[in-house]
Amino acid sequence: MWWQSHSAQRKTFGYTLLAPAALYVLLLVGAPFLFSLWLAVSDANVGDPVAHFVGLENFRAAWEMDTFWIAFRNSVVFLVVAAIFKGLLGTSLAFLLLQNFRGKKLIRGLVVIPFTLPIAISVLSWKWMYDSQFSVINWVLSRAGLIGSYGSESWPVWLGQPHLALAACIAVNVWRTFPFSAIVLLAGFTAIPLEVLDAAKVDGCTFFQRFRHIVTPMIFPILMIGFLFDTVFTLSDLSVVYLLTQGGPANASKILPVLAYQIGIQAGNLGRGAAIALFLVPLLLPALILVLRNIKRREW
Amino acid sequence: MAAPRTTRQKEVRRHLLVYAGLTPFLVIAVFPIYWMVITAFKQEPDLYRMENIPFWFNMAPTLKNFNILFYQTNYGSWIVNTMMIATWVAIITLLTAVPAGYALARLRLPGAENIGIAIFMTYLVPGIILFLPLSRVVATLGLQDSWWALVLVYPTFTVPFCTWLMMGFFKTVPMEMEEAARVDGCGQLGAFIRVVLPVSVPGVLTAVIFAFTLSMQDFLYGLAFVSPGDQKPVPVGVPTELIRGDVYFWGSLMGAALLVGLPVAILYNFFLDRFIQGITGGVVK
Repeated sequence: MWWQSHSAQRKTFGYTLLAPAALYVLLLVGAPFLFSLWLAVSDANVGDPVAHFVGLENFRAAWEMDTFWIAFRNSVVFLVVAAIFKGLLGTSLAFLLLQNFRGKKLIRGLVVIPFTLPIAISVLSWKWMYDSQFSVINWVLSRAGLIGSYGSESWPVWLGQPHLALAACIAVNVWRTFPFSAIVLLAGFTAIPLEVLDAAKVDGCTFFQRFRHIVTPMIFPILMIGFLFDTVFTLSDLSVVYLLTQGGPANASKILPVLAYQIGIQAGNLGRGAAIALFLVPLLLPALILVLRNIKRREW
Repeated sequence: MAAPRTTRQKEVRRHLLVYAGLTPFLVIAVFPIYWMVITAFKQEPDLYRMENIPFWFNMAPTLKNFNILFYQTNYGSWIVNTMMIATWVAIITLLTAVPAGYALARLRLPGAENIGIAIFMTYLVPGIILFLPLSRVVATLGLQDSWWALVLVYPTFTVPFCTWLMMGFFKTVPMEMEEAARVDGCGQLGAFIRVVLPVSVPGVLTAVIFAFTLSMQDFLYGLAFVSPGDQKPVPVGVPTELIRGDVYFWGSLMGAALLVGLPVAILYNFFLDRFIQGITGGVVK
């Protein structure tokens, strides 16, 4: 065979084709990642190009900052609460979309729009719906008699009240990603060969047995990877909170990415900002490792 | 006669149940978009009349909001910037990811599997960890304050994703094609360019679409690297430039968001299954 006789030549050719992509990734993802480790232990500043090694000073400073811990707690709450709601909504939607019915394609197309619309753009719509005075959500609630009229005590100011702001941001994340959960789950369901299920049925397996021994193990890896992807993107997304509240009022909705941006870019303290962003790594790492194991287990 | 009618009735009832179940999801998913559309065409005073039902026009619809966008803001430039960025990102992605995907899928390189996984994993290194060091890179190259900065950094997520996508794609092309081409006297490069690429057009096209739609999903890099008003792409320009102080021009804002957001969403919609297939790594056939 030609590829055996031209082994060396084939390798050279292969690595040449691979080089541009590998270099791009090494230079603009790998190197910056290492660079961020250096920034985190330096006093790098936007105004001053010369940075000095300061050891773990940035991490210590973050550790002693009240805002940091608020942001850390909010990030975790955001992730967990959002995941629960996405999971519930996504699963119900997936079961509905699993049915055969007329207009399925159209309905599916409409339901996934929140996920496909660029995030910065859909957040604007929510900002308008959360308007302090002209909120359409409040209009409906008020007409339904659930809240009082504008100015009354029971009129919620979604983005201005500390206990509502984070919930309002979480709602946008859930709205955006529940279609993603549903589609991932659907992809899992359709990956199950019907013949296997039929064969099990013929062999006398009950519904529960089929679910436990065929459906669950086949869907699980796909679900897992969808869940882990979502974890990475939810934890590291700054756009929803930044555009809705900037982390306010009084840090009530501040999450780590927003804090890292505000300190790193707006305050120009690159070192401190990098250190704060790196605090996301212990949260992200389990997800990344699980994705990696999941991918590696697959047959090639 | 009786039997088919009962099955029919059953079918109708089942349909009604499914539709009833789907309705709340549809309302939740689509209402914010509907609200954007109607806001974009409303006259300013119409937005603030809470005594009327706000879901429809209480005053005549208007195009004024779009007029403002194109004549009094940088919106036109943002659209041009967005298109230019997307085009360049697509070109860079194609030139790097397509050959890399081919090499990893077809040339039996030692370590191909691990290299492929390593490249894909970089897709999962989030921008929030990279944006501070990248801001230094951008500044060193003198690209700060121009949309070229984004042409440089967007491939950091489009290249890994599209390499992975193309790798999966090239695996489905039958090996005999190249062998036949080799027998006919093509070199390795010739076999790739003249035989494999032409049958891979759908895959390459998908990669272009993703280079485009994934670029549109970014907000952080655009926010951090590009500050001059006329250099921003649409998703960054609209929320940062159209809000002046605490004055919101909701009509224009929604119009601006829609005009670019909807086409992107629709395009992405058609390729969503490919995206899911991409990240779940080809388990889904």
